[in-house]
Amino acid sequence: MKNKYSNIGLLFFVLIGVVPFAAAFIYSVLYSFGVVGVVNDGFTTRFWESSLTSGEFFKSFGYSAAIAAVSVTISVGLALWLALKFTKELNRKLLSFVIYLPLAIPGVVAAFFTFQLFSKAGFFSRLSYKLGWLEEARQFPDLVNDQYAIGIILTFITGVMPFFVLLFLNVYKNERVADLSRLAYSLGATPRQITWRVSLPVMLRKTWTLVVLYFIFLLGAYEVPLILGQESPQMLSVLVIREIKQYDLTKISEGYVVAVIYTIIVSLAAILLFSKKSKTTEAIVDN
Amino acid sequence: MKLWKPAILSLLVILILFPFVYLVLLSMASNWRFPEVLPAYFGLKNWGRIFGSETGLLGSFIISVVISLSVATVSTLSGFFISRTVSYHPRKNTLTLLTYFPYIMAPVVFGACLSFFFLKLGLFGKPTGVIVAQFMIAFPYALIFFSSFWNERTKSLENLVATLGGNRVQTFFKVLFPIAKGMLLICFFQTFLISWFEYGLTSIIGVGKVQTLTIKVFLFIKEANFYYGALSCCLLIFPPVVLLYLNKKYVFNKIV
Repeated sequence: MKNKYSNIGLLFFVLIGVVPFAAAFIYSVLYSFGVVGVVNDGFTTRFWESSLTSGEFFKSFGYSAAIAAVSVTISVGLALWLALKFTKELNRKLLSFVIYLPLAIPGVVAAFFTFQLFSKAGFFSRLSYKLGWLEEARQFPDLVNDQYAIGIILTFITGVMPFFVLLFLNVYKNERVADLSRLAYSLGATPRQITWRVSLPVMLRKTWTLVVLYFIFLLGAYEVPLILGQESPQMLSVLVIREIKQYDLTKISEGYVVAVIYTIIVSLAAILLFSKKSKTTEAIVDN
Repeated sequence: MKLWKPAILSLLVILILFPFVYLVLLSMASNWRFPEVLPAYFGLKNWGRIFGSETGLLGSFIISVVISLSVATVSTLSGFFISRTVSYHPRKNTLTLLTYFPYIMAPVVFGACLSFFFLKLGLFGKPTGVIVAQFMIAFPYALIFFSSFWNERTKSLENLVATLGGNRVQTFFKVLFPIAKGMLLICFFQTFLISWFEYGLTSIIGVGKVQTLTIKVFLFIKEANFYYGALSCCLLIFPPVVLLYLNKKYVFNKIV
């Protein structure tokens, strides 16, 4: 009887958790090799060749990785600084609720808000005009849909940093960093040594997998770069959807090539991060 | 306290509250042309139109609520039960690793690769299809979330109930559900938010026919109707604020 329930549970797990992912991956692989698809007529490697030789995937991957790396680094840096410098203040009743508020803002709203503030006819452009710093809207610097992805990075930071502040505050409390710091101080460590040799290593060791996980999430971000990104290069998810949903049916397979490569990369990342029973699951649940 | 600390904290609070205030003000504005810093009209005209058919916002709000509640309920309950099987399985680590693949992948890419199957199943462009698609990304989260609950202590409790003559239904309703109440609520909130915030997957599977609030925001941005866009944003962010408040006040504080 016990085994029967267990087998039913396992069956549902496979049906919901494994089959859709496997089906999506196999279908994408078949499409990318021309085996399935409306205008495809049999196995071919030409879509892979054209995708890999065009260089668009690598450009997009490099662009996405750079944006994700910069956003995560700045977010984690700022969050660590805030969590260590303002531990007591951020745990006070009102502030402890206020710092949760950014979690209520989805990516699409954050991107819309950034656009409203930093576009050429946006709030800061209007303010600059009133202050006499601009004579025309076009003089306002390109901060959205720009080549350096400033708008995207700003939006990512505002979305990711609050999460890390909460995470670090939690780790600070659970790992008793305050006690460790006092101990280090009583043993003669300077405030600088306490920060660099005690607090930061303890907090980063406990959270590095989540930092990597956020890097991967940002790598596949969609709505923010869709609103705030430029035409070329595009971030990975935007590129995949653009290719798959385009009107030229002969090019759709190339979109699936990018989707397959992206899936392999994130799957390998998942294997590297989670194959051994890491503490990430606990960290995700705890935070 | 050093003098700069209150200044930094005040700046932080202003930065956090600014988007909420700005979006509410933008949603109440109209005819706000460059270079004006303040709008020509400011009032409740836009908000009054939520109930009209012109914007379709009330319909979007209702469909978003229905989809998110369905996704959250089904994901939380199935995640709770199935994570038990996974956590007690001899190959727990392999099964958990399999859970991470859909969890870590961009939902929009996952949806695009799955769209063929949704089309074949007749779920394309239907709310049911969006619910099923969102469930596929919320379920792995719920599964991972509950994995820490099924530990040795829980197993011992289950064994104790069995030793004392309790059956499986009693074990769940009299023991497991009461002790997992806090976690079930948090998981419900989180999966609700995953669904509520979802845009990419919904746009792929809903093909513009299932107009949730995130889809509406995007449509209004495309139309350059920023006032209705801001209005949709307000409807999108205030329910999560209330949920966060309730979550923090009644759930976190009780289980910490």
